[in-house]
Amino acid sequence: MISSVNPALKMVAILIPGVLLSFSFDIFTPLIYLIFVVAFTFMFSKISIKKWLLLFSPFVFLAIGFAWMTVLYTSDSFAGGRVLFEFWWFEVTTGGVMVGISLALRSLCFVALSLMFILTTDSTKFMLSLMQQFKLPPKLTYGILAGYRFLPTFKHEFEVLRQAHRIRGIGRAKGLKGRIHQFRRYAIPLMANAIRKAERVAIAMESKGFTGETDRTHYHQMSIGRKDWAFFTSIVGAFCLVIIASYQLGYLNIFGVQF
Amino acid sequence: MINQPDLNRQQLEPLIRVENLSFDYEKKAGSSLIDDVSFSLLQGEVTLLLGASGSGKSTISLCLNGLYPEAVEGYKKGDVFFRGREIRQFEKGELNQKIGIVFQDPESQFCMMTVENELAFTMENIRIPQKDMSSKIDRILEAVGLKDFQKRPIHQLSGGQKQKVALASVLLLEPELLILDEPTANLDPVSSMEFIKLVSELQKERGMSVFVIEHQLDDWVLFTDHVLALSQEGKLIADGRPDLVFKEQLAMLGAEGIHLPKDITKFPAEKHKRLADKAPRFLERTISISHLSFKRKGNVILDEIDLALHKGEFVAIVGENGAGKSTLLQLMAGILTPYKGKIDFLNKSLKQWREQELRQKMGFVFQNPEHQFITDTVYDELAFGMKLNGTGERKMKARIDVLLDHFQLQNHQWSNPFSISGGQKRRLSVATMLDETPELLLFDEPTFGQDAKTTEELMTIILELKEQGTTVVFVTHDMDLVDQYCERTFVLDSGRIVFHGHPEKLWKNEELLHTARLRQPYRIRKQNLKQQKAGETYDLVR
Repeated sequence: MISSVNPALKMVAILIPGVLLSFSFDIFTPLIYLIFVVAFTFMFSKISIKKWLLLFSPFVFLAIGFAWMTVLYTSDSFAGGRVLFEFWWFEVTTGGVMVGISLALRSLCFVALSLMFILTTDSTKFMLSLMQQFKLPPKLTYGILAGYRFLPTFKHEFEVLRQAHRIRGIGRAKGLKGRIHQFRRYAIPLMANAIRKAERVAIAMESKGFTGETDRTHYHQMSIGRKDWAFFTSIVGAFCLVIIASYQLGYLNIFGVQF
Repeated sequence: MINQPDLNRQQLEPLIRVENLSFDYEKKAGSSLIDDVSFSLLQGEVTLLLGASGSGKSTISLCLNGLYPEAVEGYKKGDVFFRGREIRQFEKGELNQKIGIVFQDPESQFCMMTVENELAFTMENIRIPQKDMSSKIDRILEAVGLKDFQKRPIHQLSGGQKQKVALASVLLLEPELLILDEPTANLDPVSSMEFIKLVSELQKERGMSVFVIEHQLDDWVLFTDHVLALSQEGKLIADGRPDLVFKEQLAMLGAEGIHLPKDITKFPAEKHKRLADKAPRFLERTISISHLSFKRKGNVILDEIDLALHKGEFVAIVGENGAGKSTLLQLMAGILTPYKGKIDFLNKSLKQWREQELRQKMGFVFQNPEHQFITDTVYDELAFGMKLNGTGERKMKARIDVLLDHFQLQNHQWSNPFSISGGQKRRLSVATMLDETPELLLFDEPTFGQDAKTTEELMTIILELKEQGTTVVFVTHDMDLVDQYCERTFVLDSGRIVFHGHPEKLWKNEELLHTARLRQPYRIRKQNLKQQKAGETYDLVR
């Protein structure tokens, strides 16, 4: 299962194809890899299809938007090929369409990879494994974890502040000047409280014997085992296979250079 | 319980010895925040530290384990010895293992998401081997009565449970001294009592020293061996056995604005009678609520609430944490919109009120006064509402002067509202609601974390307003306050009103008190005790 894979290694495994994909400008490579990632996600995790679609679908529209913009404004080095149609001053070429679709597919690949990571990873374990495997200093990891706890309280605090100001008779701010003024009114007490709370947490952590030293025992011993490497190999290996296949079939296009 | 004569105290080597400790956040001439304080804490003793708000109680506790002055920009003079060794000689983190602290705010003392991970965090810090951790977690959760909570996210727990988790994680350090910094300030009456009972049991079992800082000291004083008190100026003004301190220095402590054990202070029985029974015949309705329901994220918070409040009435809404008290108050103020039902304010639906008019007729005082401050000076803060209402310059000045005078803020009128003391902030937050005498004044936990003096000042002001016909509503955990001042009480339990009527009737309904996690006020508990121990002389302090 993906959820039991070491989170730090999982991150690396996902970053490698994520970064390398941005160089491929053809349609075939990202398309095949996208299919692989989606299939892999559902085969090896318990994510419900409905939830996944709910999160994924907004990005589809975003990707279509990207693609359309790229089709219209393709840089000259890619805008080769036949002219499909023209309107106003736009000239839509096959090259442009290819680059556009490729961009959309690439972005969807990133989204699918990110979802695979986010939906299967526990934030605490992720930080712990960054600390244990990648030697991130405990001061930083526990600091981030403590901050993460604060997000909901911050929202609550903001709500209360808005109510309190409404009681004082402040209506909704009008105009840009009013808004800037309102932002200032909220920002100062919010920041003051955040700083105070952060200080309290820091003192509470220190009082529990936290020194920030790396020499500590671990309740959740994060390790990298065979299963984790298997995941790494499948994700990265599949990417290599897709690249090879698309090279063999003559689709591969890196930075506009056809191989 | 140890109650040795003071001679004996001096012979033992104390666990902690503080010698001429001074501390301040700024270097300045003259007296500092904590000024030349010396005392000792003995092995196995329970010590209570008293002092008005702002007298530096929390600061002292953080000086004891060496977190201050390092964690803040501060200046310390004098020495603190732990078992005869100056605390600066300890390695970083070494002393923190011997001295554990539970803090006041349950929200900001954890850094992990779940109970289990938080407890593990403490053990990892002191390098307990991984194989021992699970069994230790089981044992400590059993000890604090949270056996089934191991995997639960901390943010889902109630305030009382959170404080127990904080206590558990500190106990894992196996400290020789346990410092409790107002640990029950945020808790409902029963949770607070449970927590105190737990501490007293654990203290007896483990024999550790306990150092308690607390405003509400009635429950603690029963098992306290030693009392210290700080004055407003940060000097130590009392140091000794509780019975002696409260006997000999009572007047002086009272003058310092310190809450005293209610057992010792002559309880104002006459005053009580006068306040609660002078119920006027209510005729005019201020606010009436019918069939009110409220949902948040699909959960029913309030369910079919009906209530009506009248002119000049003083009413309390009580119930355990999360029963929906604050939500009800916010609905009354029109800052939340009901899911169902109707609220009429001065015989006109709340929806039909123009916002500005509504805010003039109705005031709301938040738990944290800072939330309400908008401007940069106390004067502007008071002027703000009047400017919105278009009050004339001269009239406004006159009104502000009256308010400044009345709320004793004259000397601070050009100070920043955020920089004045806690009691002053509380007074200012009430004063800002009084540009005109409101018809309805709502308070969310107004006496929370306030010392005796501030509380009394606030109540005086509120009673005056009530005399002028303002309807006052309190959401509070303080049953003594309810007993002393309120004419009617509404008890909320899981979003429903399960009782309304005179507090006296509520105190008699023990079953209801139990389910709503409330407690009888001190006056009633004492009466009951007296009845039980008829004939015997009983001294609660011993």
